[in-house]
Amino acid sequence: MGIARRDQLERALAYLISLAAILLTLFPIVWLLSVSLKSQRDAFAVPPKLLFEPIADHFLGLLDKPGFVDAFRNSVIVTAMGVAIAITIAIFAAYSIHRFRFRGKQLFGAWLLLAYMLPEFLFIIPLFVLYQRIGWYDSHIGLALAYQAHSLPFAVWLLRSFFREVPLDLDDAARIDGCNHLGALRHVYIPMAAPGIAATAILTAIWIWNELTIALSLTFSEAQTITVAVASFRGYTSINWGGMAAASIVAVLPMLLFAVVAQKYIVKGLTLGSLKG
Amino acid sequence: MPASANRAAYLLIAPALLVLAATSLYPAIYSFALSFFNWNWGARFDFIGLRNYADLFQSAEFWQVLYQTFLFAIVATGLELLLGLGLAVVVDRLGFGAGIIRTLLLTPLMVSGIIVALMSKILLDPMLGFVNYLLIWLGLPPSPFFGTTATAMSTIIMVDAWWQTAFVFIIVLAGLQSLAQEPIEAARVDGANSLQIFFRIKLPMLRGVLFTVLIFRTIDTLKVFDIIFGTTGGGPQIATEVMQTLAYRKAFSFLQMSESMTVMVIFSTIVLLICLLYMRLESFLVEV
Repeated sequence: MGIARRDQLERALAYLISLAAILLTLFPIVWLLSVSLKSQRDAFAVPPKLLFEPIADHFLGLLDKPGFVDAFRNSVIVTAMGVAIAITIAIFAAYSIHRFRFRGKQLFGAWLLLAYMLPEFLFIIPLFVLYQRIGWYDSHIGLALAYQAHSLPFAVWLLRSFFREVPLDLDDAARIDGCNHLGALRHVYIPMAAPGIAATAILTAIWIWNELTIALSLTFSEAQTITVAVASFRGYTSINWGGMAAASIVAVLPMLLFAVVAQKYIVKGLTLGSLKG
Repeated sequence: MPASANRAAYLLIAPALLVLAATSLYPAIYSFALSFFNWNWGARFDFIGLRNYADLFQSAEFWQVLYQTFLFAIVATGLELLLGLGLAVVVDRLGFGAGIIRTLLLTPLMVSGIIVALMSKILLDPMLGFVNYLLIWLGLPPSPFFGTTATAMSTIIMVDAWWQTAFVFIIVLAGLQSLAQEPIEAARVDGANSLQIFFRIKLPMLRGVLFTVLIFRTIDTLKVFDIIFGTTGGGPQIATEVMQTLAYRKAFSFLQMSESMTVMVIFSTIVLLICLLYMRLESFLVEV
């Protein structure tokens, strides 16, 4: 068999496997969407109904479910707060470890890694106790801060990778022009690394929006997030598939839209950190 | 290094230090300290030394949960690495449409764990789920999936593989696409086929990337919570209980606060040791 022919066959096989993988990847999500649009009777039908009369009842029902709309709003607030805190603080910290050598830098780096790697409940149970005492339990700010144990190390680490890509000449030029460190950060690093900062912010937002463990432990009603609201549909006593599916679709849709719009940044952020460490 | 520069460096990391101290250093120390007490959210608060540790080490439940945590982490990580690597190699071969295919394959990473859990409960329902319908239609035996102690853990591993294989895939794909082309071309000119090129040249060059992915997946799977909480809640009985669900149950269902923190101190120590081991291994790998 000629090399060209073998090459063609391999490529055809690659397309075939990719298509199968896409089918396996997307089918559950499409199925979830279909269940959210089916009546209870259609959802439970055996054999499964592929053609059905779509209904909006489950989505409309979410509007009446106590707290669901609030949970969506809470997630928007907490995600915005969490991202703002993480990015603002991480820009300075990332610049510092990129630009300076100082005593304790390695220790700081090790702590970032540990805070990121250690299990959530090591931090959350004490924070739960603390928040109960100082009145931050079930509050937006309390939750957004608790997220920093994970988001801040991630943002610092990723932003430093992006700052490394900024040519040192530009930094030197800014210093010669009389900029101090904050000036260099503002006029060189932030504009040059803007796509990287966007990527970091997007990945942080996705992580916070989707987070369950911490939100479940530190919120109850006032600051309950969308994932906690969705989780309330679980349990074998609940056979409200339609409601469960509709809530899931509402929770996942913003992230899917995000992924379509910001795909380039997401891939950049996910891969840069891991490849250049 | 002038002193002023040093001061600038510290000033710039000060906010990060402050926030991290409050959200991770303080809680870690608090957990460690409380693990020597018998606090159950009540007035009783006695120093009991290593009693929590002794109790846990003597409980069969704790060892079972620890074993299950590792079983899940090892099998899920292995499976995801294999599938992700395979998928990356395949997509790397594509020409037309590779970009859109990559985007579609990334979708699971946008879906939160709790939604993955609920979605799998609908699809894998023993009686009404689509997957069992499909199995029967294909002439295969249906499975109880989350319903029995024998099948629940492997079902959760499958669900995690659906969810997180894309993470391995995207990073390995980027690694493949940034490999130096010269050695690959040279081998091709010498008549090596794709398989030989993959195993003899690409795979060794990908070692670093694969190692990074291995670390991230190991730690992440050890910390699994959402997909178990959302599907079995640790059951049936305790067949799918892992360290993080155990800590959650102890603290929030039974208010055994200090015992829960003891579980986390032990578990964190294990995670820490694994991180250290990997770092040693990585420097070893780089030197070789």
